Amino acid sequence: MSLAYVMNRDRAGTVKEFTFQLLKRQVTAERFLAVKDVSFEVHRGETVALIGRNGAGKTTLMKVVARVLPPTSGRVIVRGRVAPMIALGAGFNHELNAIENIVLFGTLLGRDPDEMQERADEIGRWAELTEFMDVPIRSFSSGMLARLGFAVAADVDPDVMVVDEVLSVGDESFQQKSFERMQSLMKGGTAVLLVSHALDTVSRVADRVIWLDHGKVMADGDPEDVVEQYRESVRRR
Amino acid sequence: MTAVADLPVYDSDQTRTPLVSELRNFWVYRRLIRLLVVRDLTTRYKRSVLGVWWTLLNPLLTAGVMYLVFGVAIGGRFGATEEPYVVYLLAGVLFMTFFGQGMLSTASSIAGAKAILSKVYVPAEVFAFATGVSGLANFGFSLFPLILAQLLTGVGVPVTALLAPIPVLAMLALVIGVGMLIAAAAVFFFDVLDLTRVFVQLLQYLTPVFYPLSFIPDRFLGLYKTNPLFSYLDNFRNVIYRGELGPAWQWAYMGATAVVALTIGVWAFSKAWRSLAMQL
Repeated sequence: MSLAYVMNRDRAGTVKEFTFQLLKRQVTAERFLAVKDVSFEVHRGETVALIGRNGAGKTTLMKVVARVLPPTSGRVIVRGRVAPMIALGAGFNHELNAIENIVLFGTLLGRDPDEMQERADEIGRWAELTEFMDVPIRSFSSGMLARLGFAVAADVDPDVMVVDEVLSVGDESFQQKSFERMQSLMKGGTAVLLVSHALDTVSRVADRVIWLDHGKVMADGDPEDVVEQYRESVRRR
Repeated sequence: MTAVADLPVYDSDQTRTPLVSELRNFWVYRRLIRLLVVRDLTTRYKRSVLGVWWTLLNPLLTAGVMYLVFGVAIGGRFGATEEPYVVYLLAGVLFMTFFGQGMLSTASSIAGAKAILSKVYVPAEVFAFATGVSGLANFGFSLFPLILAQLLTGVGVPVTALLAPIPVLAMLALVIGVGMLIAAAAVFFFDVLDLTRVFVQLLQYLTPVFYPLSFIPDRFLGLYKTNPLFSYLDNFRNVIYRGELGPAWQWAYMGATAVVALTIGVWAFSKAWRSLAMQL
């Protein structure tokens, strides 16, 4: 599976500019291959961690798995309900309060709005945000957003969780809580694909680690091995 | 947990005919659409002092000014309308406002939902559809002053008014179809919306909103009637207060353009999705 971003130099931002450029035959498109020939499988109950330098293509890959971006070539098959946590506050409307956002995010993920409304208090309690349920989330800190987002994502009983680097903003207690919750989800069959820079946690928690560099898979296998390979490459730089 | 074989599958290779899968999406995501519409309507009506009257203010004021300028000041200079001018004008203004507002809001709905679309998978058409339905609800509320005017002027409400949903739904299809076409362009070029505004304005002048049909010289009448909006508006006026159906070709023309617009809009949008998704 590959994904090419089409990057235009001097890209026309308006119809007028575009027409002129078309006439002057100046429309050129540069393709930037963000993800190149990546192939892997994730099975039920498995936790796969994605590691690599910034700009390696990890977030792009997550977006493809989460169906946000279609692949340019190749095939992506995902079975079941996907709960993505790709950015802090993704799926949230910052003007609305926590309860309304729980309903919104839950509905986006395929649940019934009335059901989410009923479960909102319980979700808020797990996220330890009970006092802030009526507050518009634009006032929330990054830690609070992470807690809320994770709480809803876990609550919808997903078959696949796609977690970008958002969990790292939580404090120690949240880190533990979220990993425990993911463990119980995994026992129920949920597959977890996560991106993390916390290499020690990654080797502890993941069943498999994939190292991505410049869009290509450099290694895929035993956590400790792959993490060590990645660390080597960083040292040798 | 359900067996793997029973789970819904996303397979990037599978492409069904766009129209079928789009329409299916509207059904599958109906709860989200309901949530978006309800939320849009409650914020609009709850947070303003005037409530429901606020969205009516624009078309009512427009109609008021037009009435003053054309109905009273100029008088019968360019031919009178068979029915009281107030009714003729209100029907025109309200129906065409539905068109104009609908087009603009649908066209900006995709770019507006960028925050969600770039992070969570939701078929983008859902947002266009929800915006269209919100516009429909607003139009529905705006009919109250029209019915009121019809009753007060003695024009009454004929039984054909029951057919009024037909031109309205045709208009919804047109708005969503063309709106989606423009929405796709708007993600790439930000001045598309300004151009749309101008185009919509132009179309409104080419439709008999505030002037009677007799205003158009006979030799241009044929050309004039190729504007699909003429059929939509005339059909609407016919059923809602004239109590007649009007020419069959107008209904056929309206139906055909609505279906074509929706089909092309949805098809073009799904084709453009690959490049669109990366712009968000």
